[in-house]
Amino acid sequence: MAQVNRRKFLKISSAFLASSAAGLGWPLITKTSKAQGIAEPDRIVSTTCEICFWRCGVDAYVRDEKVYKLAGHKDHPLSNGKLCPRGNGGQGLLYDPNRLKHPLIRETVNGKEQFRKASWDEATSLIAERFGKITKQYGTESVVMFSHGFGASFFKTLFSAYGIHTFSAPSYAQCRGPRSEAFKLTFGHAIGSPEGLDIANSRYLVLLGSHLGENMHNTAVQDFSSAISKGCEVVVVDPRFSVAAGKAKHWLPIKPGTDLALLRGWIHILLKEKRYDIEFIEQNAVGLEELWQGVKYATPEQTYAITGIPVEQIVQVARDLGRYGSSALVHPGRHVTWYGDDTQRERAIAILNALIGNYRMPGGIIRQEKFTPIKATLNQEKFKPYKADFPVTQNASHTFQSRYPFASQVPANEIVDQTISGSPYPVKSWFVYGTNLIQSLGNQPATLKALQQLDFVVAVDVLPAEITGYADVILPECTYLERYDDLDNRTYRTPYVAIRQPVVEPLYESKPGHEIARLLSEKMGMPDLFKDDIETYLNKQLKQMDSSLDELKKVGVLKVSEKNLYRQPGEALQFKTPSGKIELASSRLREAGFDAVPQYQPPPENPPGYFRLLYGRAPMHTFGRTANNRVLGELMPENELWVNQVAGRDMKLKHGEYVYLVNQDGVKSTTKIKIRLTERIRPDAVYMVHGFGHTDARLEFAYQRGVNSSDMITQLSTDPIMGATGMNNNFVTFTRS
Amino acid sequence: MTELVTNKINPNVIPHLHIWGWDVAIYLFLGGIAGGLLIISAAMILLQKGGIFSPEEQTAEYSRQIQVASLLAPVLLGVGMFFLFLDLEFKMHVWRFYTNFNLTSPMSWGSWALLIFFPFSVFQAIVVCQFSQIPRFLFLASWESTLKPYLNKIAAVNVHVGMGIGVYTGILLSTYYARPLWSNTVLGFVFLLSGLSSAAALLLLIAPSREKQLYSKIDMYIIAAEGFATTLFILGGITGTENMKNAMLYLIAGPYAPWFWILFVLAGLIIPLVLETLEAIGKIRFSPFVPLLVLIGSISLRFIIVYAGQEIPTFS
Amino acid sequence: MSRKRNYAMVIDTHVCVGCSACVYACKAENEVPEGFCRDWIEQKVEGHFPKLTMEIRSNRCQHCEEAPCVTYCPTGSSHYAGDGTVQIDRNWCTGCKACLAACPYDARYVHPEGFVDKCSFCQHRLKQGLQPACVTTCPTSALKLVDLNSNDGLYRQLIEGRTVTQDKVPAGTQPKLFWLH
Ligand SMILES: Nc1nc2c(c(=O)[nH]1)N[C@H]1C(S)=C(S)[C@@H](COP(=O)(O)OP(=O)(O)OC[C@H]3O[C@@H](n4cnc5c(=O)[nH]c(N)nc54)[C@H](O)[C@@H]3O)O[C@H]1N2
Ligand SMILES: Nc1nc2c(c(=O)[nH]1)N[C@H]1C(S)=C(S)[C@@H](COP(=O)(O)OP(=O)(O)OC[C@H]3O[C@@H](n4cnc5c(=O)[nH]c(N)nc54)[C@H](O)[C@@H]3O)O[C@H]1N2
Ligand code: SF4
Ligand code: SF4
Ligand code: SF4
Ligand code: SF4
Ligand code: SF4
Ligand SMILES: [Mo]
Repeated sequence: MAQVNRRKFLKISSAFLASSAAGLGWPLITKTSKAQGIAEPDRIVSTTCEICFWRCGVDAYVRDEKVYKLAGHKDHPLSNGKLCPRGNGGQGLLYDPNRLKHPLIRETVNGKEQFRKASWDEATSLIAERFGKITKQYGTESVVMFSHGFGASFFKTLFSAYGIHTFSAPSYAQCRGPRSEAFKLTFGHAIGSPEGLDIANSRYLVLLGSHLGENMHNTAVQDFSSAISKGCEVVVVDPRFSVAAGKAKHWLPIKPGTDLALLRGWIHILLKEKRYDIEFIEQNAVGLEELWQGVKYATPEQTYAITGIPVEQIVQVARDLGRYGSSALVHPGRHVTWYGDDTQRERAIAILNALIGNYRMPGGIIRQEKFTPIKATLNQEKFKPYKADFPVTQNASHTFQSRYPFASQVPANEIVDQTISGSPYPVKSWFVYGTNLIQSLGNQPATLKALQQLDFVVAVDVLPAEITGYADVILPECTYLERYDDLDNRTYRTPYVAIRQPVVEPLYESKPGHEIARLLSEKMGMPDLFKDDIETYLNKQLKQMDSSLDELKKVGVLKVSEKNLYRQPGEALQFKTPSGKIELASSRLREAGFDAVPQYQPPPENPPGYFRLLYGRAPMHTFGRTANNRVLGELMPENELWVNQVAGRDMKLKHGEYVYLVNQDGVKSTTKIKIRLTERIRPDAVYMVHGFGHTDARLEFAYQRGVNSSDMITQLSTDPIMGATGMNNNFVTFTRS
Repeated sequence: MTELVTNKINPNVIPHLHIWGWDVAIYLFLGGIAGGLLIISAAMILLQKGGIFSPEEQTAEYSRQIQVASLLAPVLLGVGMFFLFLDLEFKMHVWRFYTNFNLTSPMSWGSWALLIFFPFSVFQAIVVCQFSQIPRFLFLASWESTLKPYLNKIAAVNVHVGMGIGVYTGILLSTYYARPLWSNTVLGFVFLLSGLSSAAALLLLIAPSREKQLYSKIDMYIIAAEGFATTLFILGGITGTENMKNAMLYLIAGPYAPWFWILFVLAGLIIPLVLETLEAIGKIRFSPFVPLLVLIGSISLRFIIVYAGQEIPTFS
Repeated sequence: MSRKRNYAMVIDTHVCVGCSACVYACKAENEVPEGFCRDWIEQKVEGHFPKLTMEIRSNRCQHCEEAPCVTYCPTGSSHYAGDGTVQIDRNWCTGCKACLAACPYDARYVHPEGFVDKCSFCQHRLKQGLQPACVTTCPTSALKLVDLNSNDGLYRQLIEGRTVTQDKVPAGTQPKLFWLH
């Protein structure tokens, strides 16, 4: 009898109770006045968020020189007055007690390595000296800069001037690289970031993975909700019942790794039933017949056999796509490095979108523009390349050459491989700005091995992230709330230019990136490289836009209204592909020896007793960078492992218990993770939010909370077309000890 | 299958309400027993049962029982209120109870009722205990002589005040209709009767052997009534709304069931009832064991109801 | 009771993604201390794989018309403000927690400084003509503050063609959070 009401309430599992978060002293709370009412801010400063890479405009509220609140900037087209949860908790980074406070230099005392506090002068001198030595001996090509984030620009300028020319970021081969290359191969241009997608006006939206709502890019979620409000039908293809799936008309719990088969099945139906936009394709695309030949056998029945999705659902979605046509959108995703077939899968998505004719149509793929391009002359004047004065490049022919024919950027994992192998030329030093390579590259053993082999590693970070533990010199950058950066002048549907400006003075001895780059430029013998101070530099750029620093500081953002998003009826379209048309069958792929029409390859199957490891985002965290944020961590201090109820019970797992994970290569997680038994996932896969399981004890709050997905990702399935590292072909099982 | 997940972090309500603990349970017990003592002692004064019973008590006009009961009533209530005070989150603001009277708030009634309880129960104690006979308390002599003529009137007030406090300790919980176990009108009576029976049990415990039979009888009747009220309480629960039914099932068949049935019903009601009946008809000798059981049952009741009542979700 | 304003909140469960931006915004705006919140997310999933439904809500004090917290507050600290909101006067609160026991929505918490606290509909912002912090930040615009006494038609416009529910109606509190489905 008692179960009756037990069932009613015991199941309210407050996922993360306060107890785990409380007691760690939250430095942000000022003594609340007992009186009613909340005090007014002393000032409100408009700047740009950097808790993720989306760059929303934020208004920072300051009282007594403390940032106590962040809100969305009203006019900023990426915020529209709103912020995602992470943006709301940015002050947790600013006041993180574990922040890097001063430069650190690795030294060996009595055979024991340790970090020693150093002055900026000492640290930057050391870097200049070591870079000088290394580049003299091995050439400037032996130094590689890794970065992720907006603040890297000054260092790119610095190193470019010095002759260092290899720049890599995990936002390429670990993130949206395959999407960029696939859309370039198909339409001649990438989809961009922020994506040139008219989600808000879509009437039929297909999401593959893309877990909008958990993937919390502010404007993307705003657009998603506005589409739903306007009655957009949503289809979510995901092995997990994501939040987006909860909003969907159809949730297709696909067998992981078979998306390409599903996409081919849809293309098959569209072509077979002639439900594609015939006129648009005739005028603008090539390779239709070859496409048909390529998908001829991808029948709904075959697609069902591969994906596990019922035939009726496959057919219905395809017909709906045809019916909604140009107002439908198959979202290309963002983090798409899954199975090694990623460029081809993205190609299939590009082809589907082409077939329904949504190119530059309301609800489809749109054209985005820049505010006012800064005149090139200005850049030259400012960043006068020093290369000529510094003939330090010993072997100019040693520019980075990817093994993968369509890698338009440098795949980070290739640098890792090259560092280990030393071929075709040695890599001796890494300069790492704002990316935690230990957690973001997968195959950690390889990254660690590469780090061991390097002569000199510099890390510029705000926190003692794992990567800093492997550095010889650590430079503490101040947070985005304490600094200027370059203007944000990206391509977007509403062209805009926005400012990042200091809200409060840098805490401790941390310095803004531009200041660090300037210090380095002096030590590296380029004293004039940043001869303008940052305000003069920004002001000069803004003058070119008929504005000024003073103005932008006040308004935060300048924008012009959107235009030319959509094509005009009868407008002749030109695509930057070899044929000048949309390439349904890719000539460039064919020439390079790849399938011109995407063909499906089955991914490896689960070893018995193992679950495929999937991962994703939680709305209140950005990868590993917010795990130590006391504000954001309060509502989610750790990640959980989602296991299907039935499968979990078969494995004798208990809801809420903590287990270690062991992967197919026998690698055991260093930390434990809490089991969440749920109906919301297929029985053959498990899921966790990426970015927990920190192993650097200096991150006191995040330390050892949850498991890092990268720990378990030792198999990287490399995309042969452009070198992306597919991470979803890893399998785990559980152990209690 | 329902998966309900919340990120509400407020400790007082997650995973269920837990705002009141042992201190409030003790307060409810002491409040109930104080009310009971006041009712019994005042009633005995009014019924003229307070005359000299024994030669040892020559000097006293009132029996030791009445004296003890009259004295303990304000003392125990004071101790109880101290526990209640302990529970206040903002102790400095305790005076705020008396800058407002909220007609609809039982707690407001309760706090004002205490203001009547104290003076009147103390008046009664001063008169019946004849403090002025103790040299140190000589200063009370004039009070005693002034009040004495009004003793019956005071006692009459006190019967009501005692009932008020006794009922209040039950009403306090039973008016919270957001908490379906508490939200049961009979609960007030169960608490009142339980307070009375514990008061009687306490008096039984300390009564001279000659008088034990009287108190045992009183206690027996009250316990019988309490048993009846408890049955109504349970029935009212399971025939109530879905909410109340679930709550009652939680009490009588959930994790608190062993405590409820063994400590309260069996040890606190049935065994004492049987034994006291046997005592009353002279089958067995009086044992201090019986009133102790009653007291244990009574205090357990407060703890069980206070805790279990908070664990039941409100209207779902 | 004739009031100039009668604030209520309309919450669209269709678009809310449960991101908690509203919770963080509230905490910063109202200086809610660590370990406590004035608003929170509830996510309910029903069914069996693969037939599942999900509902997400951002919940908070309902600013009941018949608020038991006010009824049971002995000191008058919990009170109806003239604008249709239920407020707490910290200077009158004893921390007796009668209101916590009385609230069917478990909307309140005990502030470490001794008084009881809950969602105020950001009354201080309303007075300045601003929207509540949670409403302002919500990326999906799931939250809407409405004035039921206003004739701006906003409430009608929001509920047009939608199923509207209130929580725990049998409790008789006449809650003023309206859920759109
Ligand atoms: N809150 C928050 N938001 C973020 C970020 C963040 O750190 N935090 N990071 C941002 C960045 S840089 C990126 S790149 C994006 C990434 O965000 P997305 O592009 O949305 O990333 P995905 O990998 O598509 O999302 C993971 C989802 O894919 C599902 N999935 C896993 N395997 C498969 C499969 O085989 N097939 C299908 N169909 N689905 C599968 C998982 O169950 C999960 O729901 O998020 C961005 N937004
Ligand atoms: N296993 C697994 N691997 C993944 C992913 C995954 O989902 N699972 N996602 C992939 C994707 S989509 C991406 S985009 C990448 C992201 O990979 P990363 O860019 O490495 O991600 P973050 O964890 O955000 O690391 C950023 C680092 O920058 C630091 N930082 C933050 N703010 C600043 C600042 O203002 N200045 C400086 N100098 N440093 C700062 C942080 O402390 C942190 O150490 O990871 C990829 N790798
Ligand atoms: S999406 Fe969120 S975290 Fe990213 S920039 Fe915008 S507000 Fe900041
Ligand atoms: S901010 Fe909006 S979308 Fe996010 S949880 Fe709150 S109400 Fe829902
Ligand atoms: S929800 Fe609770 S706290 Fe809010 S007005 Fe209603 S009873 Fe009072
Ligand atoms: S805790 Fe404060 S607000 Fe609540 S009932 Fe007691 S005095 Fe009133
Ligand atoms: S209305 Fe104000 S107080 Fe209430 S939940 Fe929203 S932000 Fe918090
Ligand atoms: Mo990414």
